[in-house]
Amino acid sequence: MVDYQYIYDYYSNTPHLIKWVWWVSALLAISIIVLAVYLKFIRLSLRKKSNETAKFKSEYEALLVEYLYSGDESGKLTDSQKLIINRIKDSIKTPSKRKIIVSVLYNLMNEVSGEMSDSIKTFYYETGLIYYAFERLKSKKWNIIGKGISELRRFGIDEASHVIAPFINHPKSEVRSETHLYMVNLFLFEGLSFLDNLKAPLSEWIQIQLLETLQRFDNQEICDIRPWLKSENNSVVLFALKLAQIYNQFEVKETLMDLLAHENKEIRIETIDVLAHLYGIEAKEMLKTNFNDLSLEEQISFFKLLEKLVVPDDEPFVEAYLFHKNFEIQLLALKILKEINFDKYIGFTKSSNNNKSLAMVKAVKML
Amino acid sequence: MDTSSVKIILQILHYLFFGYAFAAIISYIILSFISSKETIEYIKKRSFVNYKDILSSKMSPSITIIAPAYNESLNIVENVRSLLSNHYVNYNVVIVNDGSKDDSLERLIKAYDLEKVHYIVNEKITTKPLREGIFKSKNPAFEKLMVVDKENGGKADALNMGLNISTSKYVACIDVDCLLLEDALQKMIKPFLEVTDSKVIAAGGVIRIANSCEIRGGKLIDVNLPKNLLVQSQILEYLRAFLLGRMAWSRLNGLLVISGAFGIFDKEIAIAVGGYDTNTVGEDMEIIVRMRRYMEEKGEKYKVSYIPDPLCWTEAPDTYKVFISQRNRWTRGTIETLRKHRKIGFNPKYGWFGLVSYPYWLIFERLAPIFEAIGLVYFMILIVLQEVRWDFAISFFLLAYLFSVVFSIVALYSEELTFHQYKKKGTGFKLVLLSAIEPFLLHPFVLYAAIRGNYDYYFNKKKKWGNMVRKGLVNN
Repeated sequence: MVDYQYIYDYYSNTPHLIKWVWWVSALLAISIIVLAVYLKFIRLSLRKKSNETAKFKSEYEALLVEYLYSGDESGKLTDSQKLIINRIKDSIKTPSKRKIIVSVLYNLMNEVSGEMSDSIKTFYYETGLIYYAFERLKSKKWNIIGKGISELRRFGIDEASHVIAPFINHPKSEVRSETHLYMVNLFLFEGLSFLDNLKAPLSEWIQIQLLETLQRFDNQEICDIRPWLKSENNSVVLFALKLAQIYNQFEVKETLMDLLAHENKEIRIETIDVLAHLYGIEAKEMLKTNFNDLSLEEQISFFKLLEKLVVPDDEPFVEAYLFHKNFEIQLLALKILKEINFDKYIGFTKSSNNNKSLAMVKAVKML
Repeated sequence: MDTSSVKIILQILHYLFFGYAFAAIISYIILSFISSKETIEYIKKRSFVNYKDILSSKMSPSITIIAPAYNESLNIVENVRSLLSNHYVNYNVVIVNDGSKDDSLERLIKAYDLEKVHYIVNEKITTKPLREGIFKSKNPAFEKLMVVDKENGGKADALNMGLNISTSKYVACIDVDCLLLEDALQKMIKPFLEVTDSKVIAAGGVIRIANSCEIRGGKLIDVNLPKNLLVQSQILEYLRAFLLGRMAWSRLNGLLVISGAFGIFDKEIAIAVGGYDTNTVGEDMEIIVRMRRYMEEKGEKYKVSYIPDPLCWTEAPDTYKVFISQRNRWTRGTIETLRKHRKIGFNPKYGWFGLVSYPYWLIFERLAPIFEAIGLVYFMILIVLQEVRWDFAISFFLLAYLFSVVFSIVALYSEELTFHQYKKKGTGFKLVLLSAIEPFLLHPFVLYAAIRGNYDYYFNKKKKWGNMVRKGLVNN
């Protein structure tokens, strides 16, 4: 009793600041206990969830494989298939189970082709999973919309295109990217028409994904890329340049020549690289004439182009840059000279006074 | 000086210490809120990423892994094998043997069937000259590997040599003894390719502690919590620093440091600023500050990104001697960098960088151990003078202690709900228990090392890297 009285007296007489500190300390101490217990709970539930997921996954996998192999030649659903669909219909009401089913279904879709793939698509429609994916597109949360688009893409649901198209310029890059991937996955080169209306920049990351997607298809007949090369969206121009290079678009050379005067330096450099790939002899003469007006990066790109398209007549031009202050230009000039006039090149190894340059000339000789 | 003046001075000191501690606690709370927001956003975004296309695409940008090595003969062959097993398609590995006195080079030549090649080095950054030269493998299986043997010039000099040699657009600078996960490069390159409204100049990753983890064939097989309490404490410290601190600074675009153990840089910018500074022991922080300063002065929009995925695993010191030596060096590195770039501090010309990031590092990283040491000395004087108000002292000590425990547990939550690396039963309890004892196990030594670092910086200029003994991860 005396002890409690002492504590009470101490507390009553203590300054407000210290009272406040004790209260906060007590609060923190309670928080520690609560947090520690809850952490235990979280770890347990994570472990439980992981086990449950594994269990449901194997269960649904078996069910779905059974579904696939219980079909007949007529293409109509058999009784056992209908039974499985009904079972799954109940399960997909729970979001976590729905997620597992979609993931199992998608994995199976990747492993099969032809009729079985169609059968999976039928399953996706019949179970109502498609309905949930469409519902996701109405969400206010960007990540839910993105997931919906991703799912519809993976199951090849092309009738969603009119609902998905408005997301082309969505403020969140993930939603935009999913939309672009949806378009290209389902409509191939035709799907690239979204580029006509694209206002937002197309990141290099998504560009690579789109190019990889396009290359996966058998039909490699590319549409006219000229409008995109003339786009006001610089990232679209850069993407079109990549298309021009990958799909050897010799017919767009004229448009590429116009791009050499584009206001964006990156585009000008990429254009030189593409022209080098497409053997743009016309560009060589034009760039040679304007060489001194080019930026250093463009000059380096030009020398790379020259390395591919050089002819003996270019020798005087190349000679003028053999001792250029820029390492890359000098190296390329030396390599080119060695290629077109080896005797003259050997002459340099004897006549050069500059030690550093001489070392480089000798090193190029060894290459 | 009369008694009232002394009392006023004491009052000012009390309020100064109180204000500093209060500001530090508030800043930690703000940072943890920001980091939780950033983490949630990151996890949401990550669920959309498809790394497969980037892996296989010929259009993916080239990356050079630069790994300096000095007397690493013991594990170098296995470590290089681990670097060569990355899944990214467009990359190469440059091992810079920085004048090793052991048989590192011979072992590499033998293991990878290397031969000397003619290679023209574009010496954009001045470095120590080549010693034996440049080697490439005759075996096509190791075509990605290049070994450069040069005279000793220190880690920064070796990294600069790598920058000169690299022909890639991006360079990944790593410690050769770190274990890099196979998907590390594609995850780290993502921000460079993804951000369209500014230029990403560098990206850093989380460094995790690999002591006691099971590693086979250069791959991480199983994550274990080490038995050594010092290493355990560092695990907790790293979780706090990377998952709470750096995550928040990443969102604020205020990161001043990318760990030297693993970071990717835009090579053009890294070279434009002159590469790594060879006159500092904190070259990893210094280059980031210099790159940021360069971009600010150029007036270009830029970003230093941060990837919280556990991609790089390293060996932490398991003895107090080595630990103190490491932290001593970190302290000197921080002082050197902040002093060298003091023009940035509180300078509105550098925007957020000058007004928030730099001052925060100066006040809460650079000056924290000084404040703490002065506070301790002052407290002892008060004890001697019998002027301590013990109710004040005990209550504030308890508050600070409990706050640090809560902060550590919050870091554990962040780990559990995101990357969940320590899955084994009983580990959670151990980590919570560790949160309670870590302030006594680690903090006094961190403080001691920082004070020694300050002393060495001002009075022992000859001290350079210090002793950093590693036992190697491969044999764990």
